[in-house]
Order: sequence, then structure tokens, then C-alpha cells
Amino acid sequence: MAPHRKHTAGCTPLAIPVPAEVHIPMSMHSGAPANLIVGVGDSVTVGQLIGEAATRVCSPVHASVSGQIKRIDTYDPLTGAPAVSVRIASDGEQTLWEGLTPSPVTNLAEFLAAVQASGVVGLGGAGYPTAPKLTLKEGTKLDYILINGAECEPYITSDTRTMVDHTADVWAGALLLKEYLGPKNVVICIENNKPEAIQKLEALCAGVQGMRVHVLPSLYPQGERKVLVYNVTGRIVPEGARLTDVGCIVINCTTVAVIAQYIRTGLPLVSRCVTVDGSAVKHPQNVIAPIGTPIRNLFEFCGGLKDDVKKIILGGPMMGAAVPSLDVPVVKVTSAILALSGRDAEAPTPSACIKCGRCVAQCPMNLMPSFIEDAFERKKVELLRTHKVNLCVECGCCAYLCPSKRPLAQVMTLSKKLLWGE
Amino acid sequence: MTRMIVSFAPHIRERVTTSRIMLDVIIALCPAFIAAVLIFGPRAALVTGVCVASCVFFEWAYQKLLKKTITVGDFSAVITGMLLAFNLPVGIPLWQAIFGSGVAIILVKQLFGGIGKNFANPAITARIVMFISFPAAMATWAPIPVDAISSATPLELIQRGDLAALPGMWDMFIGTRMGSLGETSALALLIGGIYLLARRVITWHIPVAFIGTVFVLTALLGIQPTFQLFAGGLLLGAIFMATDYPTSPQTRTGRIIFGIGCGVLTVIIRAWGAYPEGVSFAILFMNVLVPFINKLTMTKPLGGIKKKP
Amino acid sequence: MSKLSIFMKGIIKENPVLVFALGICPALAVSSQAVNAVGMGLATTFVLLCTNTVISLLRKVIPDKVRIPCYIVLTAAFVTITQLIVKAYVHPLYLALGIFLPLITVNCIIMARAEIFAKKNRLFDSVIDALGMGLGFTLALLAIASIREIFGNGTWFGIELPVLAEHNISIFMLAPGGFIAFGILVAIANKVSNGRAAKLKESGCARCPAATACGKGGAA
Repeated sequence: MAPHRKHTAGCTPLAIPVPAEVHIPMSMHSGAPANLIVGVGDSVTVGQLIGEAATRVCSPVHASVSGQIKRIDTYDPLTGAPAVSVRIASDGEQTLWEGLTPSPVTNLAEFLAAVQASGVVGLGGAGYPTAPKLTLKEGTKLDYILINGAECEPYITSDTRTMVDHTADVWAGALLLKEYLGPKNVVICIENNKPEAIQKLEALCAGVQGMRVHVLPSLYPQGERKVLVYNVTGRIVPEGARLTDVGCIVINCTTVAVIAQYIRTGLPLVSRCVTVDGSAVKHPQNVIAPIGTPIRNLFEFCGGLKDDVKKIILGGPMMGAAVPSLDVPVVKVTSAILALSGRDAEAPTPSACIKCGRCVAQCPMNLMPSFIEDAFERKKVELLRTHKVNLCVECGCCAYLCPSKRPLAQVMTLSKKLLWGE
Repeated sequence: MTRMIVSFAPHIRERVTTSRIMLDVIIALCPAFIAAVLIFGPRAALVTGVCVASCVFFEWAYQKLLKKTITVGDFSAVITGMLLAFNLPVGIPLWQAIFGSGVAIILVKQLFGGIGKNFANPAITARIVMFISFPAAMATWAPIPVDAISSATPLELIQRGDLAALPGMWDMFIGTRMGSLGETSALALLIGGIYLLARRVITWHIPVAFIGTVFVLTALLGIQPTFQLFAGGLLLGAIFMATDYPTSPQTRTGRIIFGIGCGVLTVIIRAWGAYPEGVSFAILFMNVLVPFINKLTMTKPLGGIKKKP
Repeated sequence: MSKLSIFMKGIIKENPVLVFALGICPALAVSSQAVNAVGMGLATTFVLLCTNTVISLLRKVIPDKVRIPCYIVLTAAFVTITQLIVKAYVHPLYLALGIFLPLITVNCIIMARAEIFAKKNRLFDSVIDALGMGLGFTLALLAIASIREIFGNGTWFGIELPVLAEHNISIFMLAPGGFIAFGILVAIANKVSNGRAAKLKESGCARCPAATACGKGGAA
């Protein structure tokens, strides 16, 4: 299966110099974009609210640098789609907003309010606002909260660093979840290639009722939520059901740490740890960057890019998106940025499917990608339905393994669109 | 600033390619090739060479003629040529070998769309076409230079009831017996099989199910089970031909069903059929059933609700 | 349509065997030798000529609802005549054609020409059509038979050919060889007629019994 390439696992993240300008989109989460509440020329400070949550499934946005609002753009810097984003010119002071105060919580409502105010979303990459996720339907029986520290994608080590460097925050967050949501078990799930994190968290779990560390084999896509639920609890999430329907919640470990940090200090999510790696990066390492920092600054901090750089990826190499420019900003869900050079970057030329069955054997959801591709090419929607392409988690294993280098992951995504009639 | 490549995830791919897989199969066939040359003399190399060259030529010529992408570089035609040669007696007239290669590549492979699209194994089908076309030449076993034993294959001897003339188990194992070029040396074939398993080119399901079924059934029928394993083309068929990707099921359960089916048919033909050997017929028959086996053994998606009928 | 084009279309463009895939059963069954193929072709042509003529003459008399039984009765009558003539004068051919001679009665080509052409065209056109179609059928059979006899037996019309006589590929004498030769000729006819025959492809996959399993058919 996919290689690990966790070169940066031992690199304690370093804070990069404050960028001259940050570009913060109002939509860094799934759901409705936040409502911008500042205007051009306004002065802002670190942690100040600049985007209000508009609806229930939404997350507030905070200024990550102190300075002045320079411009309001009408496009999303990641996708280019029409959306509101804001550019803040930094004054380099990083003055903290005076309104930042610790917000101790005493009950579930206060806890959820704090989670929402912290601006935290699913930091593993999903970007679903955490507060609505933790707001359970009346009568839900919660058996497990799985704290996802699997971090199965190659290269990325930012969650690993969170677990190692901010063990106390992860632990405190786990305890808060246990206290206010009341699950029978809180399980911290870590792949076995992160011994330091396992050791630290196991030491804390020892003797605590209902808290444990579950060590998983290092096998992509271990951290995919349905796969994780199955591997840890043996429960299968039925088609169309939510994780809470089988009594589980999966939450990223960095998300947990950010919640705990917010409750402790009052500082919302304004910066994050990003793994900077790939064959075109001179000195791969982990960095801490304010949200909205152009990725160019991160690469420059890591010694710059080699001349033969050919591809920039936001996220991991298996599911991340390739971007055309270095001007895109780090957003809440950016756990890694990769730069690949020359041969690593080129998309291979596909040849005819030889029906070797590797994709079928390795699909974590037990789908049959080669048959789905066949159905897709002939636009057989009924056949796609029979093959349950809607269950695909787009982990990319099929395309990774394909000896004919067929673009199976892409076909899966397109098949879903075809199935849903988009 | 150089232009960045923007492509769909995943951005890393496993190093295995189609041609690398085919090359592995060729490497795995090499021990059997060496054994064939040692046992049957230099003409074995000649027959193999002619088959490989004509298979590659036919593939190239067909694609050139029909203005298709030339895929000779994936080595699959080389494998077809080698496997076909391994299924022929050493004394086969060369023009017949060339005809067989043409059948394999043009009729069975390219007419159905080329690599991955053929529904039957080209080498097996070509062997059967030759078996029907040239019954005399395909059953003429040249004497082995090593030591002249009987001029019939072990399975022919069993069919005639001439058990006394059977070669010993050691001869059966290393391959100094009558038979097609590449099928005689169990040792060499097993080495190749282990290499393929180690390189994860094939999975164990088909060979184990196939060979196991033959062993169990012949034991039940009481017809020399261990002997049957090494006789005829069973090992060659089970390791190299039945595991051919496009013509075998893609699911694990399907592969086991496929292997068992091949085994049952082989034993039926060997025990009661008019022909002494049934491996190739068995594989060809099961090839045709592959789409049905695939459909029957569709994997159950994680969390997938069974569709209401 | 000119008289010549009515005649010519049966040979390649609308060849009953290679393009319309009609009358394949006799085409494969009696095509292992060129002599038999020509005999079968001529017998069919004769019957076709007779039926087309009579049906064209009676096209205003035959009631539409019972036209098929009428055609069959007519065909059967002419086939019986043909059968008796062949049996009396060309007895070896009678033996070689066997059951396929009486089976001309249900040969699709005859029914098809009656239905497609003779019932709505004048006598002279129908006669030309019958001749053209008959010739197309005969030529197709001869082509298949030539391939099979030359490669399978090393002879042509019974004449031994040099080299090939010693190098038989006997599969061509058997049923699979018939299909292979037929397939090759369909491909050639398709190419020559510029894809006219390709229209048959549209229904090709869906008719395959394996269509639902392999998923390539429309049934899935």
C-alpha cells in the first residue's frame, strides 16, 4: 500500500515570520460561508472576529494577523469560485485582540458554544464545522468518540506533532468530550508508526476509566472515518446513515487540541501546523503558519523550492488537490503542502485495463472500481447504483495501485456526479 | 515561474506498471524455458523463439495495419508466445507454430480489442485450435535425448492402462518425461510460481484451488493423485494460464470458484474424456464463465444495503 | 433505382449473408467444399427466382394477413420441385446437401426477399432482385467454402493444390473454421460496403446471452 514518507515526523514545528499579507476566505469549511463583518480600512488584531457564522452549519472566521483590511475579493483563492475573501495587510506586531479571555465551561451548552466560537472545523481535511457535528439529536446513544490520530496519508505529520507537542491539550480536549458528551468510551486511534505519540497518550490513559489508545496498523486509508469506525469498533455504518446512528463520533486530534486550547486561553483557530514536504522542497519540515498565509511564504521558510518543481499539492498526495499557483493561502484544513519535482509530479499515461483485480482487492469500502469504471464509461447509471459507487470515500487506493495507471479516483468522483444527476 | 501540473489525486502512484508485471511473468517462465532446452534439446529454444517472434510480429502488424496504438512494448505478446510454445510438442512443424501464434494474437486477442479485452486466454485457445487442426503433429512426442523412455505422455499411458511404462516420480518432478515443451518440469514451474507469488503478480487463490481440486478428486477416484499433479499441463496451466488477468475473475471468491471449476473439469476429462489431457479445455471453458463468476461474487460494499429485489 | 443497381446491390452492398446475416445456417453447414457451396447457391437461387416471380405476380391477390403462410406454401412447392430435380440429375450433390436442401423452405433469404421486395415490386424488378440476391448468396458461400476447402483440405473444387495439400489446417473443415471464415468475410464486406454491415453491430452486444453479466449489453 501507500508509502509512509513521514520524513518530518521528528521536526518540531517552527513558527514562520509573520507574512506581509494574509488572504482569508470566508468559506474554509463545509456549509454556508461566514458573513464578513469588517470593511476595507478597518484595523484588526489577532483573534478578532471578522466573519460571523451565518447558519447552523457554519464556522466563524478570525483575523490571523494584526493590521488593516486591505481589500475584499469576490473569489475563493483556492478554487477561484465566486466567494468572499479578505486580504489583511499585516503590521507585523501580532497584537492580540483585547477581547480574548479564557472561557471555562460548565455544561454541554456552554461547551458547544465554546466549540463554535473557537472557529474550529474538521482539521483532518473534511472541514465540517465541529460544533454542529457534536450537537447530537435527541436520544442519540453515544458509545464511542474516536479521536482520529491515524494520519494515514503519506508525508503529513502535523497531527503527529500535535499529539507529541500538545499532548496535554489533546488529553484535556478528550476529557472535555467525555465529560460533556458522555460516551461510554473515548478511544484515541493512532497508527503504529507514531510510537512517541502512542507512548505519551497511553501514559495518560493508564487507569482512566473509559479512555484508551487504540494502536492501528499503518495502512492507508486507516484514518477514513468509516474505515476507522469499522476497524476500531467493528461497527459498519450503513449506506445513507450517519456515524452517530451507530453510536460513534470521529473527531480529528488537532481539532480536539484546538478546542481545549480555546477553552484554556480564549485564542481561536488563527494558525495551524502545516507539514511542508515533497521532492522539490529543499528542507522539508513542519511549520506553524497564520491562517491565510500564502503557501509561497511557507516554501520560502523551508529553503525555497528546487528549480524542477512541477506540482504543488494542498493536503496529502492521495487526496489532496493540485493547485496552479503559490499564491493560494493556508486555510483551516491545510494539514500539509507538498511540492513535487520532475518525474514525481507527472500524471502517468493510462493504458488499457488488464483486469488484474488489484483495485477490487484493495478497496477499503469493498467496492469494485474496475467495474465501476466500465459502467461509467458506458454511462450505465443503474449499474453504478448496483455497484454502490455512492459509498466510495475517494481515498485513491484504486488509482494508486493500478498498474495500467488508469485515473480511477477521478472516475469514481465523476461516477457519483453521474449517479446523482449533476 | 514554471507552469505547475494540475492533475487529479492521487498524486503518487505505485511503481508497478503493466509492462513490469508482464516482465515478471517472463522471468517466472524462464526456469521452465531452461528446463525445456535441457530436456528436449535446442529445438525447444527454436520453437519458443519462433512463437515469441511471430506473436510480437502479428501484434505489431495488426496494430500497424489498423492504425492503432502499438502496444508491443507491454511484453504481453511475448508471454503469449512463450506460453503457446510451452504447450506444443518439441517436434511441431514451425509453420504450424506460426499459424498458432496468429490465432492467439489476431483471432483471440486483437479482434476482441487487444490487451485486457480478450475473453479467452490466447495461448490456450491457440493450443486448442492447433490441437484440432493438426491432431497428428500435436500428439507426436519426439524422443527425449536424455534417455529414451516411452514415446507417449504419462497421461496417455494412464489412459491406455499401460501403468508399467510410467516414468518414476523423480522424473515426473524434474521433468524428464514425454510432454509439451514447458509443461514437464514441475520443479521449474514451481520456482516460477513462487516468484510470481513473491512478486505479488498472482494471488494464491486460483493455483491452489485448481491443483487442490485435482488432487482431492483424483484421490477420491483413486487414480494416482500425486502423479496426476505433475502429469500433463496442470502446473503450467494452474500457475501461468488460469491466472491470466483478463480471463480470470477479479474477486477472491470468484478466483476460488474459477480454480475449483478448472480442477473439476480437468479431472472429468482426464478420467472419462476421450482426450488424455483436459487442462486447456477446462481453462477455456471456465474463461467463458468469468463474467458470470464476477457478477456472482460481487463484493459486498462496507455498509452497502442489499438492493431490494 | 436502375435495373443494374437492383441486381448489383445483392452482391456486396446488401449481400444477404455477409451484410444482412440471413441464411447463415446453410452458409456454414454446406460450405466445407466449393462444389457443394455452388450447388447450394444455385438451388437457392432457383427457388428464390421462382418465389419472387410468383409472389410478385400474385402480390395483389395474396391477402395481407395470411401472406406468410402463402409464401411458405409457395416456397415449399418450389423446394420440392428443386429437390426432385437435384435428386434425379445431380445425385451426389443431393447426398452432400442432405437436410439443407429441403430446409431452403425456411431459408430467411427467401422470406426476406418476398417480404422486402417481391410483394411491392413489379415482376421484372423482382426477377432481377432474385438473380442478384441469389448470386450474392452463391458468391458468399463460394468465398467461405473456398477459404475452408483451400486451407482445410488443400483442394479447390476437388483439385489438389501444390504445397497446401500437404499443409492442412483441418479446423477449417470443422464448424469453428466455418465461423472463423464467415467472420473474416463479414469484416471484409463491412469494410468494402463502407460500414453498411456495421449497423448490425448496434444490436450485436445486447443479443449476447452474456450481456447482462458482462454488463456491455443494454439489459443491465
